[in-house]
Amino acid sequence: MLENYLPILIFLAVGVVIGGAALAAGMLIGSRRPNAAKDSPYECGFEAFEDARMKFDVRYYLVAILFIIFDLEIAFLFPWAVVLDEIGLAGFAAMGIFLLILVVGFIYEWKKGALEWE
Amino acid sequence: MIPLSHYLVLGAILFGLSVAGIFLNRKNVIILLMSIELMLLAVNTNFVAFSHHLGDMTGQVFVFFILTVAAAEAAIGLAILVVLFRNRNTINVADLDTMKG
Amino acid sequence: MILDIYLVLFWLFSAVAVFAALRVITVRNPVHAVLFLVLTFFTCAALWMLLEAEFLAIVLVLVYVGAVMVLFLFVVMMLDINVAPVREGFIQYLPLAATVAVIVVVEMALVVGSKTFRPNQMAAPAPAAAGASNTEELGVLLYTKYLYHFEIAAAILLVAIIAAIALTMRKRPQTKYQNPAQQVQVRKQDRLKIIKMEPEK
Repeated sequence: MLENYLPILIFLAVGVVIGGAALAAGMLIGSRRPNAAKDSPYECGFEAFEDARMKFDVRYYLVAILFIIFDLEIAFLFPWAVVLDEIGLAGFAAMGIFLLILVVGFIYEWKKGALEWE
Repeated sequence: MIPLSHYLVLGAILFGLSVAGIFLNRKNVIILLMSIELMLLAVNTNFVAFSHHLGDMTGQVFVFFILTVAAAEAAIGLAILVVLFRNRNTINVADLDTMKG
Repeated sequence: MILDIYLVLFWLFSAVAVFAALRVITVRNPVHAVLFLVLTFFTCAALWMLLEAEFLAIVLVLVYVGAVMVLFLFVVMMLDINVAPVREGFIQYLPLAATVAVIVVVEMALVVGSKTFRPNQMAAPAPAAAGASNTEELGVLLYTKYLYHFEIAAAILLVAIIAAIALTMRKRPQTKYQNPAQQVQVRKQDRLKIIKMEPEK
């Protein structure tokens, strides 16, 4: 069975080799003569005003969290779809309840305005 | 194929590393949460290894549930962390001493 | 002796996993720690694949690498932490941490090395047949025997949705934004005022 995944393994190996080779070639062949002026951050000729790292808005976090929840929901749907023939009506109804519970959450977030980008 | 004990030792090493991580980074809540994720990963690896070697799928069903609960836990934990940072402007565990515990 | 390709892959992936896990707890920059955690999850997914747990390996990559770790990255970047004070006590706790970790590993190794778990004690099962589906086996068990647990999972996800919204959502009444629906519905009478003026003489 694992033989089926051989292409993925080869893909991984090729990816690692190409990525590593590019980095190594740059390190070996390229000339590096760093000095303080070259390494300093450039901001239109001024001294840098502030840190380059910028705070993310919390709204991105909310979107990401809602994505996780529905991602997991999809993960539950996959095996269900595969075995739908074998689990019969009970399994079908169970997924109905599962989705119903999550739709309650979905309605909540919709009504709260969590999906709106002010 | 690979003997069971190899996986168990790997799980033990990952678990030990995450325990060490909790000790080392005891000031930084984010790294603490990440260590907990690592711990769950080690435990899940053990579950999957036993499930494979005993030929019992129940272990894998259990891992699936652990993944679900861990994702929910990470989501809520990080939400609490965000609110904490907003209110106290720090994530240093040592500064969270309002209750004088 | 013929070299077992699976064993070689196991050693390769587990070496990367242990290295990445070590870096997670020792790097200075939290962003790097998150990225090393991603590497750990990735190699563990490969290890699970070697155990023929295909579905879980893919779910680990999809849900953990794809979503949970992105969430961690968001939070690390959102909080913009000054790393130095958070790192204090690192050297101070190093001996204690190493001791505890070594004790945990040795204890587990003793258990694993005991008679029950010797490598030759529990023979590896035969590799699954070419057509066997791990997802199908898991699904049958999940949707028959563990039906109630599955519904509880839904409830947990619901709790996570509500908790996340209740904790982090903030209305900003002061922000001004357009309401396209109202803009579209506007009529001439609302905006335009025609006044009659006496012509100047």
